[in-house]
Amino acid sequence: MSYQTGICNFCGTGCGHMLQVEEGTIRGVFPSSSHPVGRGRLCGRGWHIHELLNTEERIPRPLVRKGGGLTPVSWDEALDEAAARLGAFSGEEIGFWASPRSSNEDAYALVRLARGVFRSANISVLSDVWYPTTAEVLREGTGRPGALGSIADIRKADFIFVVGTDLTRQNPIIASDVHFAARGGADVVTLSTRLTQMAKLSGTHLQNKPGTKNIVMAAMAKALLEDHPPDSASGAPAGFDGFRKSLEGLESAGLEARTGLPFDKIRDVARRLASARRAVIIFSTGITGLTRETTALIFNLFLAAGKAGREGCAILPVTGVSNLAGVNDMGAAPDVLPGWRRLPDEAAASSFARSWGKDVNAGRGRSVESLLADASSGLKALVVVDHDPEIELLAGRIKSLEFVLYLGAYANPFKETAHVVLPTTTYAETDGTYTNTERRIQLNRRKIEPRFEARPPWRIYADLAARRGQAWPYRSAADVQEEITRMIPEYHGAAHPALESRFGGWQWPGGSGPDQSRLRFVPLNGAFSAAAEPAPAEFPFRLMAGRSYFYWHLNNIMKNTFIPRREYNALLLLYPRGLVEVHPDDAAALGLRDKRPVRVVSARGSMTPLARVSEEVPPGTVYAPYFVGSMIPDFLVPHADAVEYGEDAVIPVRLEKV
Amino acid sequence: MYLLAKSDVPRFLSALSARFEMYGPQVHPVSGDVFFDKAADSSSIRLDAPIPANSPKFAVFPHWERILSYAYDRETKDLRIVPEDLVRPKALVGIRSCDLTGLLCFDRFFLGQEFVDEFYRAHRRRMFLVSVTCVSPFAQCFCVCTDSGPAAREGYDVNLTDLGEAYLFEAGSDAGRELAASLSLPPAGPDAGRRRDEVIDRSISRFEAAAVENKAWISRAVNRLTTGFVKNETWEYIGQQCFECGACSFVCPSCSCFNIEDVNRRDGTTERLRTWDSCSFEGYARMAGEHNPRRPVEDRRNKRFFCKLSFSQSKKYLRPGCVGCGRCVRVCPGDIGMANVVTAIRREITGK
Repeated sequence: MSYQTGICNFCGTGCGHMLQVEEGTIRGVFPSSSHPVGRGRLCGRGWHIHELLNTEERIPRPLVRKGGGLTPVSWDEALDEAAARLGAFSGEEIGFWASPRSSNEDAYALVRLARGVFRSANISVLSDVWYPTTAEVLREGTGRPGALGSIADIRKADFIFVVGTDLTRQNPIIASDVHFAARGGADVVTLSTRLTQMAKLSGTHLQNKPGTKNIVMAAMAKALLEDHPPDSASGAPAGFDGFRKSLEGLESAGLEARTGLPFDKIRDVARRLASARRAVIIFSTGITGLTRETTALIFNLFLAAGKAGREGCAILPVTGVSNLAGVNDMGAAPDVLPGWRRLPDEAAASSFARSWGKDVNAGRGRSVESLLADASSGLKALVVVDHDPEIELLAGRIKSLEFVLYLGAYANPFKETAHVVLPTTTYAETDGTYTNTERRIQLNRRKIEPRFEARPPWRIYADLAARRGQAWPYRSAADVQEEITRMIPEYHGAAHPALESRFGGWQWPGGSGPDQSRLRFVPLNGAFSAAAEPAPAEFPFRLMAGRSYFYWHLNNIMKNTFIPRREYNALLLLYPRGLVEVHPDDAAALGLRDKRPVRVVSARGSMTPLARVSEEVPPGTVYAPYFVGSMIPDFLVPHADAVEYGEDAVIPVRLEKV
Repeated sequence: MYLLAKSDVPRFLSALSARFEMYGPQVHPVSGDVFFDKAADSSSIRLDAPIPANSPKFAVFPHWERILSYAYDRETKDLRIVPEDLVRPKALVGIRSCDLTGLLCFDRFFLGQEFVDEFYRAHRRRMFLVSVTCVSPFAQCFCVCTDSGPAAREGYDVNLTDLGEAYLFEAGSDAGRELAASLSLPPAGPDAGRRRDEVIDRSISRFEAAAVENKAWISRAVNRLTTGFVKNETWEYIGQQCFECGACSFVCPSCSCFNIEDVNRRDGTTERLRTWDSCSFEGYARMAGEHNPRRPVEDRRNKRFFCKLSFSQSKKYLRPGCVGCGRCVRVCPGDIGMANVVTAIRREITGK
């Protein structure tokens, strides 16, 4: 057969697909009806992944900067140069930026390269702000750093709560399951400021004022505790009293003015959650994720409602990028060793020292973002895997570094910042496992020979290690995975031979629910107040940043396709300078017209995109679905810290007619 | 009419594979998915496999196809255009009547109108078609409502009907008759036609119980769509559920929309590619000067259903564009496959 099984590599849903391979090229893609997640469906992105795999816009050969320009060189020369240059720095001086698109094997080998070879603990995942926080909250609450339950629970649920994200855009096939459940009679509630398609498909939409999700969730938890106080005599999970105390300060009186939602409406949803037999909560992680506080509230609410760890109930922190969960499981963070072994951890340190060599750096480092943001951090060199436009925010600082090594498959402007560029394979050109939103580890087999001179990242890392005097024992990605299954207990069942015959993979820890005795309420940081924060008179609008369907990841990947690129251009042709959405009432009051420029001014920056007059945003709110061109330096960069606050990020602005 | 003993099927397939590239339903060894696909070895073709996930249209209309390449030399101003030497002759074996009907729609679209698409013609020429009578419907099927099954009436070289111990071998063309002669197939007995009709009747009678995903009302939908009586609210409701993924078009045996891209390769040549496209995309209907007659999603959605069912469009295909395979029902993330749209129109008429 020319159709071969594989796993879609775009988002963290992990749909199974069939890639059509003829004469050594990928000629098409089709959904697999037997796959447990996709069940015969792909989204608008997934149906065009073969276009990406065929693109000519690759980095074809290794490059080394010589006299200003990047010059094609042999692999040996490039590896020699990279190893020698990196070897001249101490571990503290090097940062490693991992990619959420890497396979588990590649991410694990990168962590080993950082900690075991260059002795650096400065590792973080590019553009991933909130997944580690979410996983940490879930680990504190359940003992397991990952989703509770499965995507399959959605279709069988009678109550589904989608917090924040427009799931139809970010993870369309998960949204499709929500939609199927709704059509089958499930009670679907959405909480978001924007009237998203997901909200339109729901039965109840809670349209909150921007930046108030945590207050709405706190109010819901409070309502739930008032109606259904867990009986502490019969053993409410640990931490309950602390949780109840942290909600005490929340008055229902000012709630509506603050959040835009009356307490009665919030309480009604809490009651429906409490009485549901099979409840599922879905929220986003990654760049549009929720803060730790909001995530902890969601978990505590779920636990207080008696749903945590119950059969058929699920908390799904959906990942926007294919292997965001897996790359974090592999320890691509400054404060953990692979398998979420939070440092300091003597046992983990000695176990990795036995495996990786005695000089392994098992200390705590810093995230690359924080090192770059801190001018006195002493960072001198950077290893970056895969370009992501988030990088543009810090481009100025990156250019001042002494050495930058870039590894990636696709051509992009960031390589101009690098001193050595190494071309890597795509997921269709090498073996690798990927972990989806629901802890499902799936194997992608190599379908075609590496195009141009690309090499698998794990092999590149091994070659660099060899040049620093370390002979790694891996001859294949399967060897790396074999080590992963030994070093990370959760991945015990996920060696390549075991996954080979299991299309649909394997969900760690093998299907059992969390240990009920380990369930506990996650402590919250602060008290909640419904007291209204008056908008500064000078900046009466609240701007939110989001993510649109085709303009996904600011399009660095999508621009290498045909149809998704055209769809992005369709929007961009109508709004060539980018757009912000404004409610018709606000537009009328300010004299703004659709497709005409509007100046958006904040305390720190200003930009002049086009206005898109839309009823999907509430009055008083401005929505920027993406940032393009001059919107990035003029507005996004000065507000980088606020945008880090994910979906709850709010920037006060005023609008001026141009 | 002839008889092809089941034990003789390998001989029949290998006779074809000597002359043609073989395509047919195959079962993936790991996933169990059934795909209509090229077969390196004709013995992997399963005539009794369930309905394939994909439509055989890709054999004449690939997902991704280079239709020519060219190289331009800036210095000598020399332009070399290399047409693709497209195709070796193909045999499509085990094609169901729904998919065969889709192919006939393709013929009318690509060959039967003002312009003839030479790339399509290159695929289609010298093709050998072996259809099979569908002996039992699947959950999503409704070919009986779209006049496209369960048995083929035209367009095949050979049609096979499972009579138990043997296939009834009906030749629909000279090429089919020649094949029967070269295989020295025995003629079918005088009751063969009656036995075939019994198989077809039995298959039709199973729709009520087996084709449970569809209780469509196609003829009334055709009427309503043609006369423009479907309410705007119905289209808006349908549009709101559309995820704009294009899957319905990609799996449809009669959807023929395509996109053309010129890709500059790193070796200095340029490839001209034809790829699948879909009317569900906003960029599909966009014209110069930012004009887009079908910008809102509901306008794009209803375009597809007009294309499949309205009389004005059916005149071009000489039949409705929908062939009742039900694949769009299965792949749609928004649950608005053809059957559900027809149901929405029925509800609008009946109020329930």
